[in-house]
Parts: sequence; structure tokens; C-alpha cells
Amino acid sequence: MTTTTDLRSLTEVVGGDLVDVVSLVPANFDAEEYQPKPQDVLRLNKARLVVRVGLDYDLWFDRLLGAGAPRELRRGGGGYVDASYGIAPLEVRGVTIGPGDGHAHGSGNPHYWLDPKNAEFITANILDGLARIDPAHAKTYEANRQAFLARLSAKLTEWETKLAPLRQMPLVAYHNSWPYFARRFRLDFVDFLEIKPGVPPTPSHLAGIIDTMRGRGMRLVVREPHEPERDVAFVAVKAGASVVVLATSVGALPGTNDYLALFDTDVSALVKAASAR
Amino acid sequence: MTEALGFLWPSFLVAVCLVGIHAYFGIQVLARNVIFVDLALAQIAALGATVAFMLGHPAQSLATYGYSLSFTMLAAVLLAFTRSWATRVPQEALIGVIYVVAAAAAILLIDRAPQGAEHLKQILTGNILTSGLGDVAAIVPLYLTIALIHFLLRGRLAQSSSPFWEFVFYATFGIVVTSSVALAGVLLVFSFLIIPAAIGVMFAATLPRQLAIGWIAGILTSAAGFAASFAFDLPTGAAIVCAFGIALALAGLLYPFVRGDRLAALGMTVGAVRWGFAALVAGSAIQLAVAPRGDLPLIDMLEHAAPSLRNLYFTDTEAAAYQDADEYAERHRLAAEQLIEQERRSRTQGEALDETAVQRMSSFLKSYAEMRKGEQFVMGEIHARARERVRWSGSLGLLALALLLAPLPWRRLWTRWSG
Repeated sequence: MTTTTDLRSLTEVVGGDLVDVVSLVPANFDAEEYQPKPQDVLRLNKARLVVRVGLDYDLWFDRLLGAGAPRELRRGGGGYVDASYGIAPLEVRGVTIGPGDGHAHGSGNPHYWLDPKNAEFITANILDGLARIDPAHAKTYEANRQAFLARLSAKLTEWETKLAPLRQMPLVAYHNSWPYFARRFRLDFVDFLEIKPGVPPTPSHLAGIIDTMRGRGMRLVVREPHEPERDVAFVAVKAGASVVVLATSVGALPGTNDYLALFDTDVSALVKAASAR
Repeated sequence: MTEALGFLWPSFLVAVCLVGIHAYFGIQVLARNVIFVDLALAQIAALGATVAFMLGHPAQSLATYGYSLSFTMLAAVLLAFTRSWATRVPQEALIGVIYVVAAAAAILLIDRAPQGAEHLKQILTGNILTSGLGDVAAIVPLYLTIALIHFLLRGRLAQSSSPFWEFVFYATFGIVVTSSVALAGVLLVFSFLIIPAAIGVMFAATLPRQLAIGWIAGILTSAAGFAASFAFDLPTGAAIVCAFGIALALAGLLYPFVRGDRLAALGMTVGAVRWGFAALVAGSAIQLAVAPRGDLPLIDMLEHAAPSLRNLYFTDTEAAAYQDADEYAERHRLAAEQLIEQERRSRTQGEALDETAVQRMSSFLKSYAEMRKGEQFVMGEIHARARERVRWSGSLGLLALALLLAPLPWRRLWTRWSG
């Protein structure tokens, strides 16, 4: 069992036919605001391994684990995997949620799976977990992982080539979900409409963004499927830019059926939007 | 700056239109005593849109609007009939039930549909800041038509008990609310509906006067909300809602001056304010004596406004250590911000950082955060110890201040005691 669809996809990759993976958060739900359902507790009790995002992204999962999960599935147990282990978090602003321009995630920006290279860490963590609960098949899992990493690295080169023309092209997004993605593909996310998660933008902030966009001739605004359509369209129209909808999770957009397809879809959407103008 | 003004005035126009129609409906809603009916109708409309969405219609299509409208009409029928049923159970209870059931049913539906949650969110959380002239062009003819209907039927709609006219009232109101909630969001629409109407009803008895007062108050308050949002860089919708809250409070304070003995009202107000402050100060005194290490909201607020107040009870060493910790905390914050900025720039400029460099940066950031937390702990500890030291003298002083603030008849007490 995983908390998000991205981790489900990566766990399936490592586990192959030997595992049956479910994601608690359905595709295209905001995983940061998920409310567990009674059936989730039943599903959890049937699970042998849990994989979570960590970095304060799926905090609700701790409460669910506390509500009667078997001991081995809890933090520190053999069936517990925090996929963020070993990842270098970006934009760490400490543990305080308070004064300052905090993106209110406790320890760093949690959207690390959007750097495909981080899948190496994520799958390594999953592999460790699977090998712990099922040592007999550890070899198979390792082979699965290696095969996936080979495919991933070929894909990564392809994505990097495709996105190369977009390097240094300034972009604006609604929510700060993109630092890892930006770092890998050398994209320049200049600003975000949402200053703090959950707070609507203020007039002068929007005006500032529109000003910068006009000044630098920016042509793209990135929106995730669950973000307010009207606000993003408003800014795009004012600044003469177009909106490109990108998925941050597997299943959020049609065609994003697994981890690799997620990047395929996002990369081609970006390339298409950039070349359309 | 001018850019912000450039898109604030179209949304101000939208607000004026919304005040125009909602102040009128608000007066009717207050008269019928169905305060939360707008929430129920908006939620029902959202449920209709969700059903349409589940059946595969796109969000902005005619079919979706049709579903939304039919659901609203059904709710209007229900509301029209409940007026006559509502003898023992108040109608407001039923409105509440419609609201929660519609909201819960929408959640159940969404649970079955991918991409549903976003959809419902878009219907119920409009943002007035990003509305514009296109919206004005869409709502003005609609609102004018409805206003005309109400004007022509004014005799029948005002206080009729026939279910048919009640239905006409709720149906037209439902159409208005559905469009306005999508533009401005639930909170703002509720304020537009209730507060100008309440102010109008407070100061006038006839509908034309109530409307005039409501419109003036509503437009001025919206303008103040927009101005505050612009000047203090606040989210616009929330700023306007709070402006409306303040406007209602001011109207309440003004009421006794307009409608009664002015001098007596002034005396009452001053007395109430003095008692209020005295109670606050006395409360702080007790808090300081009982739990000097705890939060003392009043004193904390004063110190936040004027940090030099701390010097009243800090020793020199404490003040120096506090200052020092404060500076270090700020230095760690700045260092972390610089590092974050450096990493951000490295994404697109110069050589890309390798994984080790990012790892290193990441652990530096964590250390800075820890160190900053440490300094903040030191500041808190110095503060708490200083307050513990002045626990008794401080609370006695505050109690004396509270006695001075309280409007007690000192002179009379003095003569009685000395005589």
C-alpha cells in the first residue's frame, strides 16, 4: 500500500508480478488534504508494506497508522518505508510554520518525485522494504529495479533533449510544486501565484507577477489540474501568456498512467505549449 | 501599483453589482428569517453541477448550467412549501439540513469521480479579484431582469404566504446566488447579502430607505475593503468580508447615537470601553501571577508593538542576551534564504550543482533551521524568566492600573471612607 499514485507506480515497477499495490489517495486528489475513509483502515490492515512520501507531505498518514495499524507497518517497523529517505530536500525553511514567506511544509519542499533522478532513491527505499518482508525474492526485486533504472535513464536523456530549448525560459506556476523538476531540467520558475498555500493571491502580488511576465516576455503559466482555473486564466490573459496544465501525480491527467508516462505527458505538454507561440 | 489598480476597478464594479442585488434580497431574507438560505441554494447548485459533471458534461457547458438550475428550482419548491409546514420546527433548521445534505451528497459523488474535488472547489470558491468586465456584462442583464420581475410583483412577493409566490422568490434568488457565488465565493456573497441589509433595516423602516442605506453602506464598505486590500497587500475577498464585519460593528455603535439620547449613549460607551480595558488588564495581572511562563496575550501584543517595553522589566544582561539571540536568529534565517536563493539560481544559471553539492546545501539548511530554533528557544527562556522574576510586583502594578481604568466612583468612595 502506498499513499500516492506515484509511489504505487514505482512500487509496481520494483515488485513486478509479485506485488499487488493500492494507493490510498486516488488519482488527482490533493494528497496534502486527503481524508482517510473507513475502508482505508481495512486496506491498511491487509497490507504487508506501506510506502509514504514523507517530508510532511502526507501527514494524515501518521494518524491513520495510529488508528490501529499492525506494529510492523508503523514507523520503524519492517513494513514501513519512507520513500524520501536519502533525498536531498530543497528549500528547507526549518520546522517553524510562521513568520516569513514559508511554503508551509515543515522540512523542505516535498515534491521530490518530480525529479526523475530521485526515483533511484525512491526505488532503493522500496527495494529495501520489499527485501525485508520477502527476502526470498530479493534478487527478483533488484533485477526489476535495475531494468527500470535502465529504462528511466534512457527516458531521462530523451526528456532532457526535448526540454533543452526551454532552458532558461522563465515560467510562472500557481503552486510551488516544481523545484525538483526545475532543477533536473534546468527550467526557470520565476514566481508563483499562491504566496502561501491556501491563501488567495493579493492584488499587488498578482500585479507584480503580471508586470514581470510582460517585462520578460514570459509566455507560459503552469497550472495543476486541481488548481483554480479562473485565477490562472486571468493572469495569463493579462500578461498575454498561455496556460499549460501539467500533472504532478500519476493519473492526474489522461495518459499519465505510470511514472514514466507522467513525465512523457508533462514534457510533451510543455514542449507543445512553448513551440505553439 | 497602477497595474493593481487597473484590475481592481473592474472587480470593484462587480462588487457594486453584487451589493445592488444582494442588499435587496438580504432585506427580504431578513424579513423571512431565513439567514443561511443563500448557502443552501449555492450548495444545491454546486451539487447539480457535480451531477452534470459525473454524467460527463464539461464544466462550463449549457448542460451543466441546466443541471445546476434544475437542482436550484427543486430546492426552491422545497423551500416554498416548508414555509407553511414550519410551525413547530423553524424553517432555518430545514435550510441547514438542505445545506449539509447537499454538501455531503456532493462529497459522496466526488468520491466516485476522479477530478471531481477540484470541480466543486471551483464552483464554491470564486475570487472577486480575478473577476472582470466580462462578468459585469454577464450579470447586469440577469440582475436587471430579476429586479424588474421583483418590482412588477412587489405587492405579491413582499410578504405573501402562497407557496407559488414563495417559489418565485426562492427561484429568482437561487439564480442570483448561483452566479454570484461562482464569482465571489461563499463568504463574500453572504456578507453582501446580510450586512448591508442589516444596516439598512437598523436605520430605516420603509423598503426604499432601507435599500438606499444598504446600498450606500455596502458600496462604501466594499470600497474600503478594496482599498485595504490594495494598501496593505491583503487577499481581496477576505479583506472585504472583514471590512463588512467592522462596518456592522460601527453601525451598531452608531445606533444609540442616532436613535436615542446622545449624551447617555456617549456615557455608556465610555463606561463600557473603560470596563473592558480594566477587565483586560486585571485578567493579565491574574495571568502573570498564576502562570508567568505562559502566554500573556495583552502584554505580548503591547511588547510586539513597542519592543522597548521589555526594558521595563529586563535586566541589562537579559536585554543584551535577548538582543544577541534575536540577531543570531535573523542571521541564520538570512543565511538560509541566501542558500536557497543560490540553489534556485543554480537551476538555470552556470554549472548545474551535482548531487553532493545539493546534499550539502540541504544539510546546511537543516542546521540553520535548528540553530534558529535554538536562538528562539533562548529568547523565550529569557522572557519567561524575567517575567517570573517580576511575577508579584508586576501583577500588583497591573491590578492598580486596572482599578484606575475602571469607571468606579472614586470621589464618592473617598468621601464615604474619610467621612
